[in-house]
Amino acid sequence: MTIGTVLIANRGEIALRILRTCRELGVRTVAVYSAADAGTAVVRDADDAVCIGPEAAKHSYLNIPAVIEAARLAGADAIHPGYGFLSEDPDFAEVCAAEGLRFIGPPATVLALLGDKSSARMAMTKAGLPLLPGTLQPVHTGAEAEKAAAEVGYPLIIKAVAGGGGRGIQVVTDPAELPAALAQTRASALNLFGDGRVYLERYLASARHVEVQVLADEHGSVISLGARDCTVQRRRQKLIEETPPPSLVETDVQRIAEDALRGAREAGYVGAGTFEFIVDDAGQHYFMEVNCRIQVEHPVTEMVTGVDIVAEQLRISAGQPLSMTQEEVMPRGVAIECRVNAEDPDRGFAPAPGPLTEFWLPAGPFVRVDTHAEPGQRLAAAYDSLLAKVIVWAPTRTAAIGRMQRALRECRIRGAGLHTTAGFLQRVLDDDRFRAARHRTNFVEEITTAR
Amino acid sequence: MTPPQAAPPGPAQLAELLTAVQASARLLLSGLPSQPRRVHLRAGEVLVELEWAAGSPAIPSADPVEQAANGTQNELECGVSYICAELVGTFYHASEPGAKPFVVAGDLVEPGQQVGILEAMKLMTPVKADLSGRIAEILIADGEAVEYGQPLLAVEPGTKEFP
Repeated sequence: MTIGTVLIANRGEIALRILRTCRELGVRTVAVYSAADAGTAVVRDADDAVCIGPEAAKHSYLNIPAVIEAARLAGADAIHPGYGFLSEDPDFAEVCAAEGLRFIGPPATVLALLGDKSSARMAMTKAGLPLLPGTLQPVHTGAEAEKAAAEVGYPLIIKAVAGGGGRGIQVVTDPAELPAALAQTRASALNLFGDGRVYLERYLASARHVEVQVLADEHGSVISLGARDCTVQRRRQKLIEETPPPSLVETDVQRIAEDALRGAREAGYVGAGTFEFIVDDAGQHYFMEVNCRIQVEHPVTEMVTGVDIVAEQLRISAGQPLSMTQEEVMPRGVAIECRVNAEDPDRGFAPAPGPLTEFWLPAGPFVRVDTHAEPGQRLAAAYDSLLAKVIVWAPTRTAAIGRMQRALRECRIRGAGLHTTAGFLQRVLDDDRFRAARHRTNFVEEITTAR
Repeated sequence: MTPPQAAPPGPAQLAELLTAVQASARLLLSGLPSQPRRVHLRAGEVLVELEWAAGSPAIPSADPVEQAANGTQNELECGVSYICAELVGTFYHASEPGAKPFVVAGDLVEPGQQVGILEAMKLMTPVKADLSGRIAEILIADGEAVEYGQPLLAVEPGTKEFP
């Protein structure tokens, strides 16, 4: 079984990233785009392109009938959903299957099981993965929440059952704040995900975020491509990712990876996925969630393993076995990714799009840049603020940090009203806490408030 | 990615220039009997070039998306409007195979009148006119696939009384 034509149901850098691998493999590509993205690189470069709706994602990139019709129109036999948009929507995966299209991602049943945080936590408990104290079932009434909160302990975090990616979340430190926070999280969850169910979990103010990249094929092979550290976050959105996780010893990483593999097997996982964990100061790790898609930060794993994760996704969905065994995965050196976003770090990372009057990105030895933007382009305000991912490789972490500092200094991005995170990222790389890997998830808040 | 050109004009300067060019173009067009196909203005050493269409009405623009940006009905030069696809799907002229088409070229239509049907995933969505006028041309063949924003029918705007 092979794939002839892939429809890329996404936009931005990830659409271009998918297109590049397809091209390398000789697979025909179809881009779909909103009216606001006409003329972008992926639309220009794909073998075929179909406009599927207006700028609002709800009517274009999230419009299932439009994407399916475009696939039929352009003769696609598989759909790569990228990240965000329809990538983890079990309904979409199901419609693809019903229409005879291959969805490049896990089966709908796996998406449903792991997308629901409540059923995901139950499945992972069953697989023997450590979880933070919290409620396995959603909490409904205020009284129920208060009783559960007393058992979980404060500070705690209220999370949407249907949430993920850091959205639909609220931290509660004082029991008096619980009723209001509960109502608010439930309302925003209903608004964001159409599902108001929430659960409680102990909150670790000071922790590290470590995740494991997993690949699983239809033939029962489940392997890990190693772990990434994504501790540098602002408002639970990642800014810097690196592999291997610094400050964790190899045996700790090994234990976390083994848990991820057990979790993947328990869930019947097929495809590329990421198991996210939180690691406390004592070095104990706890399962957080599974991201059933390719992730923004996948290039760091590619840089140290030499594995093209998108190519593996295509292989898996074509029913082929993975191209390597666990023993053949041999990570080498250190890779770091910095997200250059069109945001103003001085105004709480508020989106600050504008025309890219000047747009010059780094290059040179061991530097990879994934971007969709071009000089002269006006950024569409309707979509996320990711402008470019700068990724570097070096034999050691110190050398990788130095290389990233060099690369970021090469960035020249200017335009009226435009701000980027490039300068802020430089400050993080300069900080002794980051250099010594003593930083925790509250690091960005510490830097911004200290200023 | 190329390095920037030497000292390009700033955004304020560009805006000023654009305003001046637009004003000149408007003045020029107001003195002409009908709309030219193309206008070329240059300020340095002053050049004005006008290109006229060879008697034919406007040809639909090659880029449907450009037209879709302003809504379903899009008025172009020469007074022709387009009814564009509001979704990706298959365009049909009639309610079922063999039935009489909703409209043919030359028919008068009024706002809300059905002029075709779009099928997306077995769901039929009526295509309706949202202005009064005469159907100049049906641009898409029956049963042909269309993308979002693609012009389906050309309409010469006017009221029913207008011949």
